[in-house]
Amino acid sequence: MRHALRVIAAEALKQHRRSFGRPLVVASMLLWPVLQLAATYYTMLPVLDTPGIASRWPDAAQPARLLAFLAAGAFAYLFYFSLVQSAWHFSFERISGTIELLFLSPASRLALVFANGTGALVQNTWLAGCFAVAAASAGGALHVAHPGMYAVAALALVVPAIVWGAFLNSLLVFSRDSAFLYTLLDDPLWFVSGVRLPLFAMPLAIKAVGLAFPLTSSLIVLRGALLDAQPLSALLEPLALLTGLCALLFAATAALLRLGEARAQRTGSMQLY
Amino acid sequence: MTRAIVTHDLVKVYPRRDRPWWRPAGKRPPAAPAVDGLSLTIPAGQVTGLLGLNGAGKTTTIRMLSTLLRPTTGSATVDGLDLVRDAREIRRRINMIAGGERMVYARLTARENLWYFGQLYDVPRARLTARIDELLALVGLSHAADQRVEQFSKGMRQRLSIARGLINEPSYLLLDEPTLGLDAPIARDLRAVVAELARGGVGVLLTSHYLAEVEQLCAEVHVIAAGRLVARGTPAELTALTERQHTVEITLAAAGASADQAVQALAARTGAQVTADTDEQLRPRYVLRHRHDLAGDLATTVVAAGGAIVRLEVTPPTLEDAILALADGARQPEAVAA
Repeated sequence: MRHALRVIAAEALKQHRRSFGRPLVVASMLLWPVLQLAATYYTMLPVLDTPGIASRWPDAAQPARLLAFLAAGAFAYLFYFSLVQSAWHFSFERISGTIELLFLSPASRLALVFANGTGALVQNTWLAGCFAVAAASAGGALHVAHPGMYAVAALALVVPAIVWGAFLNSLLVFSRDSAFLYTLLDDPLWFVSGVRLPLFAMPLAIKAVGLAFPLTSSLIVLRGALLDAQPLSALLEPLALLTGLCALLFAATAALLRLGEARAQRTGSMQLY
Repeated sequence: MTRAIVTHDLVKVYPRRDRPWWRPAGKRPPAAPAVDGLSLTIPAGQVTGLLGLNGAGKTTTIRMLSTLLRPTTGSATVDGLDLVRDAREIRRRINMIAGGERMVYARLTARENLWYFGQLYDVPRARLTARIDELLALVGLSHAADQRVEQFSKGMRQRLSIARGLINEPSYLLLDEPTLGLDAPIARDLRAVVAELARGGVGVLLTSHYLAEVEQLCAEVHVIAAGRLVARGTPAELTALTERQHTVEITLAAAGASADQAVQALAARTGAQVTADTDEQLRPRYVLRHRHDLAGDLATTVVAAGGAIVRLEVTPPTLEDAILALADGARQPEAVAA
């Protein structure tokens, strides 16, 4: 565990230097989510005029509630998509020829991919996180049943996001073809996970696909705990699903790393780029 | 237990992927092994050379010993630890440095690169800072410690790469063309570092195209061709394996039948290959090739026959000749010298 923490610290420094160390990048870390939120909000505004929408989706009847709903969605999406980017960047290690150095070292492979995800998550989201907390507090959008629900919401967002990131890293560390992730996990993830629309408004098939992504359940817990003042007992179902998904992704990550490294050792593919 | 890397009948066959997955395999020749039954011993405290032409299997061997590749069959141990079963423990004890400049992070400073790898190797915190300073001094980069690597010259990057390979104070160092592309003074400094490491007890396996480097550093050299060991011995022993490679070239002041007969007689008596022609000034010139140096005999013979020597040049056999001859199949596996 101590070694794993050292690996996380090392990865955080490396990522900070490689991707986040410049002022323009820091500015974009806030600008990008805000722009995304604005675009989503103004795209959704015409929907509010749909006759009878308030009865089916009460949040849509109040622009402030809708904004909070969408902001929570955009914020959670930022967490998850930053890990898609992190995994994509991790695959660049192959191009730069440094991937072998990681696997030459005695560092745990699982620690490496978790470190990469954690480092990316912290650096991608700290600014937007601070902004979101400040904005939500100042705007009076937060309604919690118990102060402990802040911790529940934070854990339900951060832990599955890190596990998700580690899973993506394990996929990409052994693959040279990573561009598909961007195509697959940008707009489709945004759509099926209920970032823009509540899950109950989706067709059953989309709902089923959406529930396979941890972002969907993270969002249900985040919105329920922080916007709708739901108690823990009301969120047990999505929390249980999240726990199951995390366990599944963790096991898949460990297996993929084992299989991927064994394959790379068999074929010599780690040096290819 | 003797401290060493020991391999037994190491074989590596890369799987073939030259057809789309939907096509049946059909009858295809089996893939040729990149390494084929290699048995080596790389003792601690010594530089051991691994030589061969391109594609001989040197890099594959080094990558197997560094745990980046898994042997198809055969076994290897590092200080008694199994290469496959105890891979993680072995990674703590070894490191690899390859030529080129792709083995460090360009946006990190030299110090940060070493700190990063120190963390990965779990170098004790109390030791890491001092170790980084020692290594930067060792490779002559103390002045650039806090400079980003992207601003480094090729030689500086390579030197940092060497420092990276030493961060965990490895018991065994695998060097794959470490001086590739380096300027002569930097390569010389690296050789000094490697020799010092070996004196300090580190076992070093070195592949290099610079045979002078191998002759200077290696106590023992293994020559491989097509993945097989074709010879091993000291550089001098390997050089001696190459026949008819002492070349003696003699130019006479003027042509003369007696001198010519004497040279031909000497060649016939010793079994040397002889060629005769003339130089640009139409003076007679003889070239004799033999496993022994015949310069003395030749000069005596020519003078005794009344010839006047204007030029005598001896080219001794080199390790390069030996490698080429052995790799070309001039020597079979039974030629192993030791």
